[in-house]
Amino acid sequence: MTYSAIGERGFAVKITRNRIYELLRQGKRIDGRDPLSFRPITVKTGVVEKADGSAIVSLGSTKILTGIKVEVGTPYPDRPNEGVFTVNAELLPLAYKTFEAGPPDERAVELSRVVDRCIRESHAIDLESLVLIRGEKVYMLYIDCYVLDYDGNYFDAAVLSAVAALATGAIPKYRVVDGRIEKIEGERMPIPLRTVPISVTMGLIKDVLLVDPIPVEESVLDTSIIVGYTSDSTVAAVQKNTPGLMPASLLRQALETGKLKSQQLREKLLGCLGDAVKK
Amino acid sequence: MVPGQLLSDNGKRSGPGTYTLDGKVYAAQAGIPRVVDGVIRVIPVSGRYRPERGDNVIGIVTDIKPNLIEVDLGGEITAVLRLPERETPPLKLTLGDVIMAEVKSSGLRGVFLDPEGLQKIKSGILITINAAKVPRLIGRKGSMIQLLKKETGCDFWVGRNGLVVVSGRTASSEFAAISAINLIEREAHSQGLTERVVQLLKSLKGDEESG
Amino acid sequence: MKRVVKLIDENGRRVDGRRPDELRPIRMEAGVLEKSDGSAYIEVGGTRIYAAVFGPREVHPKHLELPDRAVINCRYHMASFSVDERKPLGMTRREIELSKVLREALESVVFVEEFPRMMIDVFVEVIQADGGTRTAGITAASLALADAGIPMADLVAATAVGKVDGIIVLDINEIEDKYGQADMPVAMAPRLGSIVLLQLNGMMTVEEISAGLEMAENAIKTIQQSQIDALRKRYRVEAGGEEL
Repeated sequence: MTYSAIGERGFAVKITRNRIYELLRQGKRIDGRDPLSFRPITVKTGVVEKADGSAIVSLGSTKILTGIKVEVGTPYPDRPNEGVFTVNAELLPLAYKTFEAGPPDERAVELSRVVDRCIRESHAIDLESLVLIRGEKVYMLYIDCYVLDYDGNYFDAAVLSAVAALATGAIPKYRVVDGRIEKIEGERMPIPLRTVPISVTMGLIKDVLLVDPIPVEESVLDTSIIVGYTSDSTVAAVQKNTPGLMPASLLRQALETGKLKSQQLREKLLGCLGDAVKK
Repeated sequence: MVPGQLLSDNGKRSGPGTYTLDGKVYAAQAGIPRVVDGVIRVIPVSGRYRPERGDNVIGIVTDIKPNLIEVDLGGEITAVLRLPERETPPLKLTLGDVIMAEVKSSGLRGVFLDPEGLQKIKSGILITINAAKVPRLIGRKGSMIQLLKKETGCDFWVGRNGLVVVSGRTASSEFAAISAINLIEREAHSQGLTERVVQLLKSLKGDEESG
Repeated sequence: MKRVVKLIDENGRRVDGRRPDELRPIRMEAGVLEKSDGSAYIEVGGTRIYAAVFGPREVHPKHLELPDRAVINCRYHMASFSVDERKPLGMTRREIELSKVLREALESVVFVEEFPRMMIDVFVEVIQADGGTRTAGITAASLALADAGIPMADLVAATAVGKVDGIIVLDINEIEDKYGQADMPVAMAPRLGSIVLLQLNGMMTVEEISAGLEMAENAIKTIQQSQIDALRKRYRVEAGGEEL
């Protein structure tokens, strides 16, 4: 069962939109949640043994699988003393009727870059400890997120699954022998994580902020924004990801709300990961 | 029944959801077999809605052109409502309106809705369920939908295409109705469903009173 | 890197301890994703695959539609982390070829004439590969089609037969695929006794192929039973009611 919505950012189903407004005036949402409640989250890690780290996160019915693969490569010329990572996200055609096969479209690219920003700008990965030969050989982490099932808010679910995969990953260990790179068979090491970045997606309807929107709400939002936070609640990334007016006066409130929710989500994530966290 | 399963090898005729091979009838879809007047058919447990003449369906107005209106029936089916030539159309329809109408015809040229008897639904929440579960939501002689009406006090419009509108006077009554519909959709084929629906509605009412 | 691997030991056991005619453990589930019309998940040994079906639906782009039947579109794709060496993004030639043979296999059983001018999309996503991905993929795709209510003549099931150290073996894993002498994926509509997908890579005599096909056919009947069980479980009816 789904709440029917029209296309993507098209006009909304009028009666449902009216109901959503009425409910919000009473502090309620169409699926019974509070404006500031996330849907139930489940996390499963180590689901793909061939990957060096993997996690499936379900946020309500939205389901995202992230896998990490490690290789040895050359660092960026202007960062000779750092390992390299890239984030790639795909909206698989499996996940939703309007996701098409083919090269990533603007939605997928935006998702990749926002997840990347949350991880990169928070300096979550200690890239300096992933160097083998300065300026020549470093660890390269490929973080690939696949949306398997879409029921709203792939941003927060993707960040959660990427972070869960990073936190529980066990990557191959290499060493330098006579100037050559050699894999140390049988040994693995955790991915050095400094902080646990978490994103919070917030939508605005009239002047009510709500978190974790579902597709029917997405079709009715005035606008929305994604904010990424580090473990000490510094903001590491912001993306206003839909058209529409965001009153400047509400931005502060959004950032504060997001901060609180990110702390709760982080606790929830670490709770789910429990002993699987390597460190 | 699952696809490829033998249904009859003694002369029954092949109905919807089945096929014949060498004089025997086999299932083509996953579902429950039924025999009526020597014709064996399979009632599928899933599958998109296929419009048929006479069906009452619910749709969303998605485009308005000079003499015709496009109506989204879900399942990526767009039906057409051809308006009569007269100047005053029966109802003023705008984009995003929800209507209930009868399927006038359905074929290779498209799906056409009958402007006669068309209703515009004024308020409520529009949800989509699997079209194969609609008969279960309605119930034998409408028994299930009557139960929901009685226990929640909501009004219901149920389209054969799986679109349903729930309209109640309070948020909690609508939420209860939608929860019940969710349960019916998930467990459409199991025994004792009616009892479980009654239990669910009772517990939601209880929560509301104490909460 | 050349590797000398003994694929069958003195006791006739394979690298993972199986006998030549033994299948790996199989697990299947129908209806695992919510937004598609039908879906399935399969594990065969270490191979893990999701399949999803959308349709019948309108054809895009329109010029691809056929006046008298539905078009089936199949995409076989592997996640970058599904294999030992990371697979770069985008479709490789292998994925394009497998998409074609999978589509043709499913076309052989789906009643496409029932949906003129429409399209049925089948997506097979390999999240971990350990040999036999196209055969596990088509088994899952067939289950997803049934879950979506698409009319078909039979459930298609598949397995890959191989030749290692001169012995014909069933359901080859990745090591046997890489270092063996031949691999032959087979998909069948078992109730029709018909083959819908057949390929051979490597050298086998005519007798070996016949023996391999017989072995495959028996295994395929077992695998089909798992599909039926998965469908019955998904549409489970409580005791006393009717069974699917």
